[in-house]
Amino acid sequence: MRNISSVLGRLAKSISISLVLLFAVTMTSNAQDAKEGAALFKSNCSSCHKIDKKMTGPALAGMSERHSEEWLVKWIKNSGALIAAGDETAIRVFEEYNKVAMPAFTQFSDDQIKSIITYVKDEEAKAAAAPAAGAAGGAEKSEANSFMIIGMAAILILAIGVIFILSRITKTLEKVIANNQAAIDAAQVRNEAYEESGKVKFAQKFLKNKKLVGFTALMVVAFLAVLGWNTMWHVGVHQGYQPVQPIKFSHQVHAGVNQIECQYCHGGAFKSKNASIPSANVCMNCHNTITASDHYDGETSPELLKLYRAVDWDPDTRTYGDNQRPIQWIRIHNLPDFAYFNHSQHVSVSGIECQTCHGPVETMEEVYQYSPLTMKWCIECHQTREVNTDNKYYDKLIEAHEKLKKGEKLTAAMIGGLECGKCHY
Amino acid sequence: MDSNKKYWKGLEELNQTPAFVEKSKGEFAESVPVEDVLNEAGLSTRTPRRDFLKALGFGLGAVTLAACNRTPVHKAMPYVIKPEEITPGIPNFYASSFKGQSILVRTREGRPISVEPNPNSVGLNQGIDAVAVTSVLDLYDMSKLQNPQIGGKDVQWSKLDNTVIGALDKAAAAGKQITIVSTTVNSPSTLASIARFAAKYPATNHVQVDPISYSGLIEANKNSFGKAVVPTYNFENAQVVVSVAADFLGSWLEGEEQTQDYTKNRDYKSLKGGKMSRHIQFESGLSLTGANADVRIAIRPSEEGAVLISLYNAITGQSIAGGTINAKAKTAIALVAKELVNAKGAAVVVAGANDVYIQSLVNAINTQLGAYGAIIDLDNYSKQYQGSDVAFQKFLTDAKAGQVGVAFFLNSNPAYNYFKAEDVKAAIAKIDFTVSLSDRDDETAILTKAIAPVPTYLESWGDGSSKEGLVTIVQPTINPVFDTRQPEKSFLVWSGDSATDIYDFVKENWEANILAGTGKTWKDVLQTGYIYKGSNTGSAYSANVDVNAVAAAIVNDAKKVTADVELKLYESTVMRDGRYANNAYLQELPDPVSKVTWDNYAAINPIFAEQLGLGENSKVKIEANGYAIELPVLLQPGQTMGTVSVALGYGRTNVGKAGNNVGQNAYPFLTLVNGTLQFASKATVSKLSETYELAQTQTHNTIEGRNIIRETTFAKYLKDPNSESGRFADSHKTYDLWNKFDQPGHKWVMAIDLNACTGCGSCIVACNVENNIPVVGRDEVRRRREMHWLRIDRYYTIIEDGKDYTKEKEIKHLKDFEDVTVVNQPMLCQHCDHAPCETVCPVLATVHSSEGLNHMAYNRCFGTRYCANNCPYKVRRFNWFNYWNDSRFDNYLNNEFTHLLLNPDVTSRSRGVMEKCSMCIQRIQAGKLKAKMEDRKLKDGDVQMACQAACSANAIIFGDANDPESEVSKAIRNERVYYVLEEINVQPNIGYMTKVRNTFEA
Repeated sequence: MRNISSVLGRLAKSISISLVLLFAVTMTSNAQDAKEGAALFKSNCSSCHKIDKKMTGPALAGMSERHSEEWLVKWIKNSGALIAAGDETAIRVFEEYNKVAMPAFTQFSDDQIKSIITYVKDEEAKAAAAPAAGAAGGAEKSEANSFMIIGMAAILILAIGVIFILSRITKTLEKVIANNQAAIDAAQVRNEAYEESGKVKFAQKFLKNKKLVGFTALMVVAFLAVLGWNTMWHVGVHQGYQPVQPIKFSHQVHAGVNQIECQYCHGGAFKSKNASIPSANVCMNCHNTITASDHYDGETSPELLKLYRAVDWDPDTRTYGDNQRPIQWIRIHNLPDFAYFNHSQHVSVSGIECQTCHGPVETMEEVYQYSPLTMKWCIECHQTREVNTDNKYYDKLIEAHEKLKKGEKLTAAMIGGLECGKCHY
Repeated sequence: MDSNKKYWKGLEELNQTPAFVEKSKGEFAESVPVEDVLNEAGLSTRTPRRDFLKALGFGLGAVTLAACNRTPVHKAMPYVIKPEEITPGIPNFYASSFKGQSILVRTREGRPISVEPNPNSVGLNQGIDAVAVTSVLDLYDMSKLQNPQIGGKDVQWSKLDNTVIGALDKAAAAGKQITIVSTTVNSPSTLASIARFAAKYPATNHVQVDPISYSGLIEANKNSFGKAVVPTYNFENAQVVVSVAADFLGSWLEGEEQTQDYTKNRDYKSLKGGKMSRHIQFESGLSLTGANADVRIAIRPSEEGAVLISLYNAITGQSIAGGTINAKAKTAIALVAKELVNAKGAAVVVAGANDVYIQSLVNAINTQLGAYGAIIDLDNYSKQYQGSDVAFQKFLTDAKAGQVGVAFFLNSNPAYNYFKAEDVKAAIAKIDFTVSLSDRDDETAILTKAIAPVPTYLESWGDGSSKEGLVTIVQPTINPVFDTRQPEKSFLVWSGDSATDIYDFVKENWEANILAGTGKTWKDVLQTGYIYKGSNTGSAYSANVDVNAVAAAIVNDAKKVTADVELKLYESTVMRDGRYANNAYLQELPDPVSKVTWDNYAAINPIFAEQLGLGENSKVKIEANGYAIELPVLLQPGQTMGTVSVALGYGRTNVGKAGNNVGQNAYPFLTLVNGTLQFASKATVSKLSETYELAQTQTHNTIEGRNIIRETTFAKYLKDPNSESGRFADSHKTYDLWNKFDQPGHKWVMAIDLNACTGCGSCIVACNVENNIPVVGRDEVRRRREMHWLRIDRYYTIIEDGKDYTKEKEIKHLKDFEDVTVVNQPMLCQHCDHAPCETVCPVLATVHSSEGLNHMAYNRCFGTRYCANNCPYKVRRFNWFNYWNDSRFDNYLNNEFTHLLLNPDVTSRSRGVMEKCSMCIQRIQAGKLKAKMEDRKLKDGDVQMACQAACSANAIIFGDANDPESEVSKAIRNERVYYVLEEINVQPNIGYMTKVRNTFEA
């Protein structure tokens, strides 16, 4: 029932929004201006400004009321010059925002700046319209509630009717059965006698054939053995392990859509044994401005709020507190302690792609263990993987190899890649 | 060629006692109850079918239930804000210093895990002593105090400070003394903070007292030269060294640095150049230094002075009364004096006695020998021991008279290590307010009113100055773990300055007083770790000594010690003064000579013991100076007849879980003569009815008379460098069952110079720390279950009347056991190319690598112990328990905090698994990876073994034999190299160089 009400609510909302939009569009003197402004805003302003929220710079809503257009053009073109010239308003704004200078945009023409201002005004109007729409939706809701009571009553009446009809049908059918009972019984007895004799015969035949019995027993044993073997074989293998992480971090968004290099966050993989999960301050490099609010109706993503809690970042005042708590990620790739694995050897020295072992991470919404991480899996790769012959360290080994096996490729296995002490110590 | 000498590990082996013969027969040290099971009664034991099924059913069910664990969920917690310098998985090194030695501290993810010498430093830069190596464990010691205390209750620092300042003001108002009692403080910043404190409270008096006192030496130098200092001894410039009871390679002054210098004249490089120093030792107990001497003469403690008088007479041609009457010593002295005179300018005499007169006489002798300047340096003097016995006496008297208002005990524990502990207790009771600045509630701290706990050096900013001109930095490698505060900071706070940060204080002190004029900055020092402003050599001095008066005093004092049984107290090379007694690594490090762990003992000559009716496992009561202790007996060959040696530093009662009540405290035996503490006295020894088995590692295996030690004399070596090396391959043709396979990449080999190795044991503990080797405790050592991957085998031989004894029969007729010589042989996995252990492993858990290493895959091993049984060198160790997680082995590792010490690159082995030296494979792999990352070939020296890095004698050389220019390739081609048990053709990869002894040629 709630669905019905929310559907109605949404319907009302979208209708009102589209009405407002229509109104806004008709009201806008030049729609083309706003479009250009939107493009310019996104590429130049959005990293520090939002319409309705403070970021590095002030919220832009109402800026046209606060300042004259002429002043705004001057400020945007070169705020530093304005401050230097001793403009009071400029100095006040500069000091209010911790004396962070806004970069000069001398490359903009006055018209371009005006188009940005127009865009801001439009957005402001949209934002103002949205709460109104919300209020309208609220009004609908109470109506929906009374509608809901009427609906429920109707359904109740309908259900009683159905039950009544069904009970009539049952009674009729019972009568029919009672009439034909004798005929049914006879048929049942015949049927059972036939089945019994057939079963016994088959069982007797089967038991007499010792070979068949033996063969069947063997098959059962073999089947169970294979089943058992396979089960045992996969004890401790967690391929496909995909735990729920404390933060719904999507590699698909970061590595896939946004094309961020693996190395940006997992720098350790290139120089150390551990690939290392990035510390939260690495996340904050981007996420102090990117709040993913366009996906959450203008609010900061709830997942990012978890990050902010971890680093104790207050997005409103844009300051860090000192109550920081590490994020407790669930470890997906668990090698046993007795196996030594070094990322840098594989990534930097051998030049193996991350995806070779970790799978198509850039498409994973949630990461899972792609490879089995068994010793067999390691060995199979070491047997076929060619040594990176460009590395000067291997010169001597390659020379020795060439003497013995001319032209054949040099695999990791040939230079001791299968020896116990490579991984176990 | 077989050596004609007979070597033996212990007296059991020498005497072939029935118990020893019985034990050595079996495959296992403990009897396996095979007979009990397989005899008639055992076989006819009937297990009813129902019981069997019950047991089977229960077993199956229990195992199933036990296996029904949910797969554990592992969490990964990254830093919130990662420090820039940390990359998880990569160690960071910080230059710091320990007891004035510049060191590098290796940290992983912000926790210190090991300590190595700083190779670029001045002074000791080649190795590190056992105490320094194991000092990382002290950081993770759970027995330390975690909060400041007043009257045994935890309080806040603010409360403690208010109380202390109140007491100080009260004392100042009453005009009473304020005394800071400490062991030697050579740290400029500590001294600066004490000076600030003294400026606020002018009644402050800083008393330095060392448990092992050198005030006799200091006093003598003051009298002879007007310089009240301990000089530095440069043994590298000495070609003839005579030591009278000075354990200068072990515990006497700077043992480790002196070892480094001393072996420079005796190692393979020096021998290659045809040079070797000669070292003659006169002593009563067999010390580490005596074990390395070319000639060792056993004397009584009362004869030390007499020997020196005779030596002085022989050198100068004078005839001062009071010379020695010991016949053996007499002949030796004549020869020695000639040697010394011939080597004038390159000869030195040192004496261990803490006696003004003996040291004055030594000064006179050294002046005659021209040792001042190049060898004995009074200008760049040592600052390690500045304690004054007299000053401490005065403090006790003042305190007992009620003249001391407040006393601070800074790293000082006189209630344990002062010979009259009652005096200390009485004095403390009379002082109005006492504060201990110690890391734990030790014997003194429990008597004081307040404890201001101090952090370890790994958590502190500070510095040290081991000798004049050399100042080393101490920088923290971790934040203070417990609520502790550096003493420097405490003194600042108590002097009214609570604002100054300790970092700023140390930095400002350096910039104002140490760096000024050197052109170096604070940052330079943080990188290099030290600054050196000293000159290269000292200038010559001439002692001003009235030899006749001194000799008379010596003769007079000797009478006080002369007795049927003379007691000699010594500082043990391992346990030192007892400060680090809670360090389990040190407790389990075998004494270099006796190989005893976890105890001190009464060392008595075997023949003398027989006369006293004592034998193995006997216990005796030793009485001297009105004090008595009961100690187990150690039959010590080489010990002078009629003497007993007892190590100091044991018998702590308030040090912590590992060190409490280990051994007996021998400090109360000390006496005060002429204002200095004396380490010898008259004693009586009486046999007790009880027995006590010492946990010794030496007798755990037998060498079955095999020829595994090769020894020659310097004279023979000069004629033929191959002398006595007895290489089997030179005289025999060998046949192989196996195909030879190539090792085209690296071939890791090691060369061990038996002539350089002093047997000190730093390598053993360095190996322990590097490879997460557990400490097993006294009982398990008795069961031969110590886990050391590297051990140092000590072999005795006997020379008497210039003739080597080769047969047991002859040895029995010896009249004394005084003339033994010792060879130390570090024994570790030999990484045999034809390893016998590999062929018997049923599960291929130990196999060979293409780089010549014998790998051990712990996870594959299931513990048959066949490999250990088949190993000719007996270097494999079996994990009988989960030592790091078993309440029965509550020595140190059984808590999560101490687990932080473990090296994360090495697996910690589980119960039921065999282990052995891996040739620090984690270091090899790390070295190779570094070369690959830098896109270059591996250089010689890129990979260093933990044992090698710790060796100050340069006795261990490791590297790639496939690189003909590597240090080890050159060493392994040396004529002296032989392989142990080469004749069984297991083709070991560790070559040993013959022991060369520079004896007098008859």
